[in-house]
Amino acid sequence: MSLAGKTALVVGAGGLGGPALLTLAAAGVGRLLVADADAVDTTNLARQPLFGEADLGARKADAAAARLAAVFPGAAAQARDVRVTTENVLALAAEADVVLDGTDNFAAKFLLSDAAIRTRKPLVHGGVLRTTFQILTVNPLGLGGCLRCLFEAPPPEGAVPACADAGVLGAAAAAAGALMGAEAIRLLDGERGAYEGRLLTYETRSARGRLVLVRKRPHCPGCSPEALGSAMPGAPAPHEVTAGRPGGAA
Amino acid sequence: MTGVAAPARLDVRADACPMTWVKTRIALGRLAAGDRLEVLLSPGEAAESVPRSAAEDGHRVVALDDLGPAEGVRLVLEKADGGEAAWP
Amino acid sequence: MALTDDQVARFSRQLLVPGFGEAVQERLLSARVRVVGADGPATAALVALVQAGIGRIWVDDEGYVAPADRQGWIYAPDSVGSPRAAAAREALSPLSRHTVVEPYPAGGVPDAALVFASSAAQGIAMGEVARKAGIPHVMVEPDAEGGAVVSIPVGAPCFSCARSVAGVGRPPVAGIAGLSALAAAELLHLLAQPVGMTGRRIDVVRGVPTTHPTARSPGCACAQPAVPPSLDEGG
Repeated sequence: MSLAGKTALVVGAGGLGGPALLTLAAAGVGRLLVADADAVDTTNLARQPLFGEADLGARKADAAAARLAAVFPGAAAQARDVRVTTENVLALAAEADVVLDGTDNFAAKFLLSDAAIRTRKPLVHGGVLRTTFQILTVNPLGLGGCLRCLFEAPPPEGAVPACADAGVLGAAAAAAGALMGAEAIRLLDGERGAYEGRLLTYETRSARGRLVLVRKRPHCPGCSPEALGSAMPGAPAPHEVTAGRPGGAA
Repeated sequence: MTGVAAPARLDVRADACPMTWVKTRIALGRLAAGDRLEVLLSPGEAAESVPRSAAEDGHRVVALDDLGPAEGVRLVLEKADGGEAAWP
Repeated sequence: MALTDDQVARFSRQLLVPGFGEAVQERLLSARVRVVGADGPATAALVALVQAGIGRIWVDDEGYVAPADRQGWIYAPDSVGSPRAAAAREALSPLSRHTVVEPYPAGGVPDAALVFASSAAQGIAMGEVARKAGIPHVMVEPDAEGGAVVSIPVGAPCFSCARSVAGVGRPPVAGIAGLSALAAAELLHLLAQPVGMTGRRIDVVRGVPTTHPTARSPGCACAQPAVPPSLDEGG
């Protein structure tokens, strides 16, 4: 089946998700689900290519879908103006053939990794900080590890993030998002992912790239057989009250 | 120039993170090494993260005074030689 | 001139990056960058340069939007057949009020150049023009979804020394946007903090970038220093 018959879910339509969506649309992917719960802000414009001056204040998911529809009418872009949580992530992932992580916080990244494993959909994880980006493909049907195999746990909740961590070079994010899009295209074409089982880290100032092997970790809370036998990490057990559960560090 | 010049003043109590640090960093960038900058911050996240970010950039935290819940927090920074984090 | 409040808000995240800051942002906002080629592969880089706050982008392309250019980021179906430089300006201008996108003015001397050459000969010629003008430049050699970026700070080994001799690459596809954005990042680093940047070639094969320093071919004219650009601050 060609790309026109495929669906990609991109979570986050900003600095990573925007470039990924543009690349997917340009390649001819037939359906794009855009999940984002924020509104377009001035501080977004310098690195989020789906939004221009006229979009300030608009819902990101809507503005993204509209821009994609204008330039790429063949990519049916659908806005999902929702924050991805344990309650909705499995259903969202199940609609897609591939999932791309354009989020900006680790709680969401781990959630997507967990959901990819459970729905047996490939996930292209990405992150960018200052001038460095990283990409990892979590293929539930492959031999490589998931995000929890690589990182033991998200940073402790409640830890105040350093303001300086908000620094991002837009061009680095654009490169990462585009490479994520290209990877998703490989996966949709039935090829083995370039970042399957190996994390690419690239720093733009030094132009130094590194590949780190990510093997399945025994007893991994994200992808081991025993983990899959119980609820997703972060999902409340049926008898627990959900009010007040923190959404994760931003 | 002899003596300590009156510190430059910056009020970012109406700003949210990271704009608080962005504006502080820009204000520091306009100063000479040894100059002081007085920053008024809202209590909470900004009051913790701005001093930390400034220290990470090598500046000296001269004072951090709680002015009460209505007034916020006053941070006094002394710009370091060489200023912001530079490339090796 | 200091940044306006609007500029501080817009470029806030970039202003926090080490090596970037108010002075550098002002430099980018007053920079003129000549981008040779506005075809599909160039579009991601063009978007990245607008977003970074490059003040003036001179689009040097006398061609017309082809269906294949729709594998880039900016050309809508109704732009096919229209002059590419104008179509690029129309698509890019709404992204930012801080960047002027205009056709390359004949004889204009930019502060830097980014080249997506349509042929090896054009690439070599453009590389020479940039080298003789004494400006940093970045050359892009697309190959399907990857290819190479050759980064040439002032005085570094020239494009003729560093380019691929393996022949012309395969036609570009949508995934080329990654290479294009990497090229934009190279150019931004060259403009922001030129000291310490050395000539290098980044090859991207199946999504993995590998970087090598470039080396001068013995006897190449690029060993001699170029005439420095005019110090005229105007324009």
